[in-house]
Order: sequence, then C-alpha cells, then structure tokens
Amino acid sequence: MRPILLQGHERSLTQIKFNAEGDLLFTCSKDHIINVWYSHNGERLGTYDGHNGTVWTVDVDSQSHFLISGSADNTLRLWAVATGKCLYTWELPTAVKRVAFSEDDDQVVCITEQRMGHQGAIRIFDINREGDGTDQSEEPSSMFNPVGSKPTVCTFAHTPGMILTGHESGKVALFDAKTGEEVNNNERAHMDVVTDLQLSPDRSYFITSSKDKTARIHDTRTLAVLKTLQTETPLNSAAIAPNRPYVLLGGGQEAMSVTTTSLRQGKFETRFWHKVFEEEVGRVKGHFGPINTIAVHPSGKTYASGGEDGFVRVHHFDESYFKAKPYGDIEPED
Amino acid sequence: EDIAEESNVSAELIAHRKRLVDEWNAWRSRCKKEVADERRKRGKKANEPEPEAAKEEIAVWIDEVIEQIEEEIMD
Repeated sequence: MRPILLQGHERSLTQIKFNAEGDLLFTCSKDHIINVWYSHNGERLGTYDGHNGTVWTVDVDSQSHFLISGSADNTLRLWAVATGKCLYTWELPTAVKRVAFSEDDDQVVCITEQRMGHQGAIRIFDINREGDGTDQSEEPSSMFNPVGSKPTVCTFAHTPGMILTGHESGKVALFDAKTGEEVNNNERAHMDVVTDLQLSPDRSYFITSSKDKTARIHDTRTLAVLKTLQTETPLNSAAIAPNRPYVLLGGGQEAMSVTTTSLRQGKFETRFWHKVFEEEVGRVKGHFGPINTIAVHPSGKTYASGGEDGFVRVHHFDESYFKAKPYGDIEPED
Repeated sequence: EDIAEESNVSAELIAHRKRLVDEWNAWRSRCKKEVADERRKRGKKANEPEPEAAKEEIAVWIDEVIEQIEEEIMD
C-alpha cells in the first residue's frame, strides 16, 4: 500500500509514538506543537497546543488517557488525550529531553538537560490518576544526577523501580529509581551518543541507536550486547517490529551537512535489518532529510517515520511482508 | 525451491543461521519464563495473549492515485 504522508508540522520531527491499540499516532516537533493522527488513514484528530519551544519528546499511557510531553521551554506537561487540554505543567530548570510512562501508568520519568549551572537530572513524578488529572504534586517522587556522561534517553526497565538510560558517551545503565544508585552499566555499549532506546513488548530486551552508526540489541537485565547492526550512517532511531524478526533503523547525516552532500547517496532511508542474523534485508525511501524518529504499530502491521524534512510517513505493510520468508523456514521467536 | 537453489546459499551458512536462531530461541524462552515469574511475584496474572477474534473490519479502502508528482533532484 502507498505510504500516507502526514503534513501538519512546519519543522522537523523529534519523536513519534503509537498508543497501545495502535489506532493513534502522536507526533511532536520543533514547531512547538504535538499532533495526534488516526494511524489507519492519516487524518489529523487534534493538536496539543501550549508549549513555547521545541517539543523534544512525548509518551502516551497504556489507556490512551494521558499524554506527557517535554520541551525546550523547560516544562513537562500532562495532557488529556481526548480533549487536548493541558492538565498540569511542571516547571523545570532546563529543557526536558526525554519522557516515558511506567508500565502501570502511575509514574513518569524525564531527563532534563545539563545547562547553565544545572546538572543533567533524572526525575520521577507520581501521576495521580484520580479525578480529572489536574491535581498533581509539584515535587518529583525522586530525583538524581547521574555522574559522568549525561543521559540522553531513558525509560522504565523490566522491573518496577528501575530506570534504563542511554548516555552521551555511548553508555547504557540501570538506575534504582528511588536511590539513584547505578545498579548496572555497560560503558562500551556504543562508541558515541545513544540517540534512541526502545524496549521489546515484554521489556526483556531493547534496541539502541547511536551516532556511531550502529544499532545494538541488549539484554535488559544484564545490559549485555546481544546483536550489533553496523550501518554506514549515523543513526537517530531504532525500533523493534513485533511479529516479524526485523528491526527498523533510521538516520542520516547531521542536518548541517545535508546541503553539502548529494541526496542521491540515499542516506535517508528506513533500513530493515534481521535482528538475529544481523543482516540488512531491505530499505524504504521517501524522506528528503535525515530520519529522526521511527515507531512501529504494536501489532507490527504499520510503521511510521518522522523526518528532519517535517514530514511523517505512515506505511501499512503489504501482505507479502508477512508472508515472505527470505531465509526459508528458519524463523526465530518474537 | 528454485529460488532457494538459485540463491546459492551454502549449507554452512544455513547451519550457521540455524544455530543463531536456536540460540536466540533458547534465550527468548528463558526470558519469557523470567518475565512470567516476575509478574507472578508481583501478584499479577501472567500476561496471556488476548484473542483477537472480536475485531470486525468493515471499511474497504480504495487506494486511488489522483495525482503524483515526482521531484527530480538536480545536482
């Protein structure tokens, strides 16, 4: 099927997310706006308007009830998914670069940037789900400053109370959410900035992408690298495709060097890799700039990519994608 | 079969892939067991996959190309 082009952002995309059912796609951008779209036809359902700076990050709870977003305007905001109303705003000292809901939707974790005398920090806020959602506590339930390399991406790990992070140095680590203690780390997971981190559905493994041109699959419990996917371009995003043995990688050169390089080099493609064999199996082109963010529908039937070009492209997989067995009958478990 | 023949994949490579998949599957079953144990400990029911029977698809999508503009990139 032909891809659906979502035109609603005026500047580059920063993160996109499907909800648990996969019927909605949330997109945020440097144009200060968050949009929500019907994933099946690309119709825009609404807009979450209020941030006064680049919206770096967004996440939706498993009920599709609350949306959380982080922005360069130094705020973390909670929104009602259905009405588009901003329910609560947390004022923080610096830009919010990454947010994520916990598995039970009762907490959010966020990373604030290191800047102007402020250390990079990880904060965890309890989300009060009673009432209309406007009654939230201003103070985080816990906060800590990871020493050493600053965190760039984070999420809740396989067990409650554990935070999984990716860092500027290429490190991945596990932190105790309450004490801030670094429980485990892998200093040499990547050789450069970790740009994205996405968990498998059961959170037992995760994929990271990095500017070091690789994506890696790690065991969440041990942080051991299980698979390495070596590409020839810096990567901005990596996603796991449920029900098929593939992962999707996206990237491209830095926005600054785009004009000096021919587009013909085909650096702006979503690459499909076999996650067990560590082999590239296909590419999908379409974007006119680096791919900043990729998300796969929870059922694995659709994926979306958001680019530096300001477009989101939604691809519904053809029947052949599910039937094809490029490696014969050897099919790994999900 | 012809394609398999043509692809000229050596028996060695197939064996290698088989080994990779076996390793992966063994690791996945360990993970799944751990996840299930973990959930039981937390007093949750094991996450059984829900049947997807009740879904009804009525909509028929007609995919019609109205206009297509191919942009040529000139160097």
